[in-house]
Amino acid sequence: MKRRDFLKSVGLAGLGTMTAARWSMAVAEDGAKIFTMAHPAGFPDLSPATSFSNDGAIMANVYESLTRYIPGQGDQPAKVEPLLAEKWDVSPDGLTWTFHLRQGVKFHDGGDLTADAVKQSIEWTVKTAGGASFIWSPVSAIAAPDAATVVFTLSSPQPLDMIAASGFAAWIVSPTVLDKDNAWFNAGNGSGTGPYKMERYEPGQRCILTKNDGYWGKAPFFDKAVFAVVEDPVLLQSMIEGGDADWTYSLPYDNLEGLKAKPELTVVANASFQTLFGMYNVKKAPLDNLKVRQALSLAFPYDDVISSGTAGLGSRAKGVIPAGIWGHDEAAPIPKTDLVAAKALLAEAGVTGADLTMTFATGDNVESVAGELWKANLATLGINLTLQPMAWEAQWQLAKSDPAAAQDIFVMYWWPTYVTPYDYLFNLFHSEAAPNYNLGYYSNPDFDKQIDDAAALSGTDRTKAEAMFIEAQRKVITDAAAVFMLDLPNVHVIRSDLKGYVDNPAYGHVVFVSELSK
Amino acid sequence: MSLVKRLGLPGTLCLCVVVVFALAAMLAPFVAPYAAQGIGTPNISAKFQPPSAAYWLGTDHLGRDMLSRVIYGARVSMTTGVLIVAVSLLIGLPVGLLAGYFGGWADEGFMRITDIFLAFPALLLAVLMAAALGAGMLNCIISVAVTWWPWYARLARAEVLVLRNQPYVEAARLMGVSPPRILLRHILPAALRPLGVQAALDVGPALLTASALSFLGLGVLPPTADWGQMVDAGRPFFPARWWYAVSPGVAIFLLALAFSVLGDALRATGRRDA
Repeated sequence: MKRRDFLKSVGLAGLGTMTAARWSMAVAEDGAKIFTMAHPAGFPDLSPATSFSNDGAIMANVYESLTRYIPGQGDQPAKVEPLLAEKWDVSPDGLTWTFHLRQGVKFHDGGDLTADAVKQSIEWTVKTAGGASFIWSPVSAIAAPDAATVVFTLSSPQPLDMIAASGFAAWIVSPTVLDKDNAWFNAGNGSGTGPYKMERYEPGQRCILTKNDGYWGKAPFFDKAVFAVVEDPVLLQSMIEGGDADWTYSLPYDNLEGLKAKPELTVVANASFQTLFGMYNVKKAPLDNLKVRQALSLAFPYDDVISSGTAGLGSRAKGVIPAGIWGHDEAAPIPKTDLVAAKALLAEAGVTGADLTMTFATGDNVESVAGELWKANLATLGINLTLQPMAWEAQWQLAKSDPAAAQDIFVMYWWPTYVTPYDYLFNLFHSEAAPNYNLGYYSNPDFDKQIDDAAALSGTDRTKAEAMFIEAQRKVITDAAAVFMLDLPNVHVIRSDLKGYVDNPAYGHVVFVSELSK
Repeated sequence: MSLVKRLGLPGTLCLCVVVVFALAAMLAPFVAPYAAQGIGTPNISAKFQPPSAAYWLGTDHLGRDMLSRVIYGARVSMTTGVLIVAVSLLIGLPVGLLAGYFGGWADEGFMRITDIFLAFPALLLAVLMAAALGAGMLNCIISVAVTWWPWYARLARAEVLVLRNQPYVEAARLMGVSPPRILLRHILPAALRPLGVQAALDVGPALLTASALSFLGLGVLPPTADWGQMVDAGRPFFPARWWYAVSPGVAIFLLALAFSVLGDALRATGRRDA
């Protein structure tokens, strides 16, 4: 929540709702069917090459990638679905990937989707070198032997079908706009193959998309999609309650019960790929002692934090890889809250009292509830936990400095750029010469080797790779490198008359508007 | 002369309010119905209870009794309010005395420094300071005091400018009394009264500013109870769980108002006596 905007938004709240409603009516007068998404944060970058933030919500409706990731649900395993590529094959060594493109697909500017356009688009993203363009780093060459075939040569075996499904930097953009800069895209321009075209973008206010009549897939129901930026949660809630918005998120968890009771609203809650954890500083006493780390993890009130912090909608984290991602370990040996066992472990370790500091993001309610409840449990063990909220940059800088002077526990969320367990395990626990995201400074050569080997196998033998990732993650869990607090739920509040809505956590808070109707 | 006659009815009422809050703050462990929750112990089985016989002001998102939290919050708010004014006086008073008495370069120098501080909008400067220093009660006090002391320096200087030409000060000087002694024994006591009234009047705005910093997340850190921070924590739940944001909000309002009216009443008695 942007507190500095609070006064502004409260002052303008009444006025804002009025104008928003009047504006929707004005557009609706000609009978157009409109989908309105009330988005709690702005869209900082609409360039498909560099966009690496909330703007994915817009990108995913204007542009398309070669493939799309569909998370596993229940018995259904996770899979990668065709999108602009109809099918693909990989050489036995995992180094050559051949994608066969869908035929008859046109860009918004009328040009055909060809292998050459795909090659140029991805090369442009790589050359721009912003945002998440690093996902293409395993690719050493792209060739277009004919109009419908793209061949990628990799320098190391990687799951390119998943990389191509990424929610960032994997968008295929028309060759006619590749000479444009970010300012051009951020003025509300663009040309992709998606079901919607850019119509207008007013930074900090709204982005408006219009139906693409030449779309290759099912014709969209809604004529227009409006992405309204509404930063104040109180105003967000009144918009969805009043019917001025069809879809929103980031309302306080504790208000959801009240919203569920309203028949005109539906609260859609399911697992997200976002997990919350606290990394223990293993380079600093007393957390360099395994027993102390285990005791701390045993003292964490897992169930209470889920019930108070997320109104019971979150789920127990089984390590860092959340459900729905391949490599998730349902049977992971995670600890249960047990203060007696924690006390015994501390006694064994010879630690009678300690002052620990936990850093977390300023203004994050789930993290602060987790800290407060944990602090209360630790106090009974004679451990004083100082809760230090910090702006992300400051929190990160402190952690990247000397580990001996840094925080004891670093709390943050993680979610993957593209869906692979390697993203979580490598960034958070792989040995690092200088700390980047491994902010507990965990280092275990066996673990490093195992996940590197698993990553190399993940393009060709995903079953074996998955087993190796699971085994590697269990090492991290037994070493108590972190406290795995919870997997955050994805909670979206939609109007009940909206049909066809399915949340895909691989694309955080993205709505594929063309799948919806009323 | 009775208290009511001296302070007037509103002044007396407000004095009572201040005394009640002060007593509650001092005796918090004894008067708070759930002292442990006041300090911050969670009680999640009872979260978001509306006001009831067991919880007079309801409970917060961790099930803690709001009344106990408000009472413990009074400790923080009153201490910060009083300390901000005390620290400001401690800096502002000597600066004003010296500038006013010696005049010339000392006066110019000190007054230009106060001008720099007064040129910033007070809350903005406090927010900037607090953001730079980091959260915490001490930093919050420092941040607000930094924006506050120039007013006392100005006020003290104005008093001294009038007093130093008074015949009794003139007389003391002619008798060869040393400047420090004149300042401390002859000018300071006379200047203290208007400054004291101003200080009493300022405790309200000072605690209001401190609460604003807490509201912005720059003040006292949870789980320590603090009114501003509680209003912020309760804000997202406002329409449905009104008691969360309203209880500390009303407490801030009452105490700030009480200090202001009390200050006004004190000033009025000052004028009547003069």
